[in-house]
Amino acid sequence: MSKALNLAGGYLKSILGVLVFLLAWEIASRIGLINNTFIPPFSKVVVNLAELIADGTLFHHMAISLMRSLAGLGLGIGVGVPLGLAIGQIPAVERFLGSLLETLRQTSVLALIPVFILLLGLGETSKIAMIFWGTLWPILLSTIGGVKGVDPTYITASRSMAETRVGVFLKVILPAALPSIFTGVRLAATGAVMLLIAAEMVGASSGLGFLIYDYQVKYQIPKMFAVIAVFSIMGLVLNFGFVNAEKRLIRWRPE
Amino acid sequence: MNRMTVTGKRDIIYSDQLGLVYKIRNAKKNGEPNFLTALKDVTLGVHKGEFLSIVGPSGCGKSTFLYVLAGLIKKTSGAAYIDGEEITGPALNRGIIMQQYALFPWRTVQKNVEYGLEVKKLPKQERARVADEFIELVGLSEFSNRYPYELSGGMKQRIAIARALAYDPEVLLMDEPFAAVDEQTRGFLHAELLRIWEKTNKTILFVTHSIDEAIFLADRVAIMSASPGTIREVLDIDLPRPRSEEMKSSREFARYRSFIWQHLQAPTDITREVLTERGRILAAEPNEVAI
Repeated sequence: MSKALNLAGGYLKSILGVLVFLLAWEIASRIGLINNTFIPPFSKVVVNLAELIADGTLFHHMAISLMRSLAGLGLGIGVGVPLGLAIGQIPAVERFLGSLLETLRQTSVLALIPVFILLLGLGETSKIAMIFWGTLWPILLSTIGGVKGVDPTYITASRSMAETRVGVFLKVILPAALPSIFTGVRLAATGAVMLLIAAEMVGASSGLGFLIYDYQVKYQIPKMFAVIAVFSIMGLVLNFGFVNAEKRLIRWRPE
Repeated sequence: MNRMTVTGKRDIIYSDQLGLVYKIRNAKKNGEPNFLTALKDVTLGVHKGEFLSIVGPSGCGKSTFLYVLAGLIKKTSGAAYIDGEEITGPALNRGIIMQQYALFPWRTVQKNVEYGLEVKKLPKQERARVADEFIELVGLSEFSNRYPYELSGGMKQRIAIARALAYDPEVLLMDEPFAAVDEQTRGFLHAELLRIWEKTNKTILFVTHSIDEAIFLADRVAIMSASPGTIREVLDIDLPRPRSEEMKSSREFARYRSFIWQHLQAPTDITREVLTERGRILAAEPNEVAI
């Protein structure tokens, strides 16, 4: 019993900051410390969120958004991981492509939004392409880093046992680089959510990003905040999911 | 091949005037390339079943020599043979054990020991059986399902030994395997290694910079000098087995120690003369070496 209480108490402590913030928001908005036309009380946001869930609006747009981000992220992994493995393996390719990759990486995907729209139009393709572009770099660079960071003694040990090149790659380089690849995918996934909002705010007629933009234009401020809150929760869930998946997949490291 | 007549049937490994010259990237001022001689005329025969230590200062090339024998580094002159066949690359007839253990951290102890058996394409059940046997040999059965990060340095090295022994190589090549563990653990590992060696009848080539370690473990000690890396002398160790800690304070042990010490310090020129005169230093039979 006391153990359960302790656990609940510990949990409460860990989210105390969030609770205090929400309470301050509620009070400040109610007593008019902040303009409640632009920042409605938190409770009102919650009520609006419930309405959005009840009438199915939220899930309709969420499904579209998730499809786009998963497609973009999937492409990012599908291209980034194999390309990164190849680049990390072959120093000559790395020397040749290194500065180009660095420049492309530094080119903000947000700055490229007009380019994507010009080239691919306003449809799904351009949105998926934007997310692909944004997720590609963290995945690519962490894969290259992972491959290059493999402790050479593992490779030596494997080669000393007359392992083939393919064997060294599959049974040593790949598992050794996996944690780094996974970190890249996690960064890319959280980045994908952010990119999605931007992509959907520019010339879209569906998706959560569109919804935020639409409610702002229509001056439905509590609903706008409700969707913003959904994004925050999505980000939290995503990160939590990845951290746990990482723990399960990679059990061979100290906690 | 007449090499074999020179070395005799007992030699499982024979290194014949092995040389390794590196071309250094930074050229000299006059534009000529710079060369570094890592190994020069290294000639050494290792008898089947013996424990041979190679002792020498840091950077003398003793580890490099071991890696050439493992087939992991290419020599530039001379040749090395195992069972009369020239060494051209790595193979499962040699097992190397490194100072840094080099266990795969993503594999459990059991799976680490099975690695060489996978390369050997043994069926799954057979792999598990052999791995069990060798994990038991090094006394770590209860740790089969642990990951390397859960083991101490000494335990990791015992698993590395089990991994190398599991695929049944003829020769174990050990590169300063106990340099990273504390003194007490090292003493224990020495005893363990000798026990395992006697039980498995393997040939062991053991590289170290510790004179005491070299003498304590070995049947013979090869003394290696730096720049250029070459073998100066091979010394017979006539201490009885099983070896014990007390022997380290015996008179014979002290004589071996001082002999090696003097040869490590002697000017290189003498060795060069001997080398040019005799071609290969190992021609000296152990009883020719005056102590």
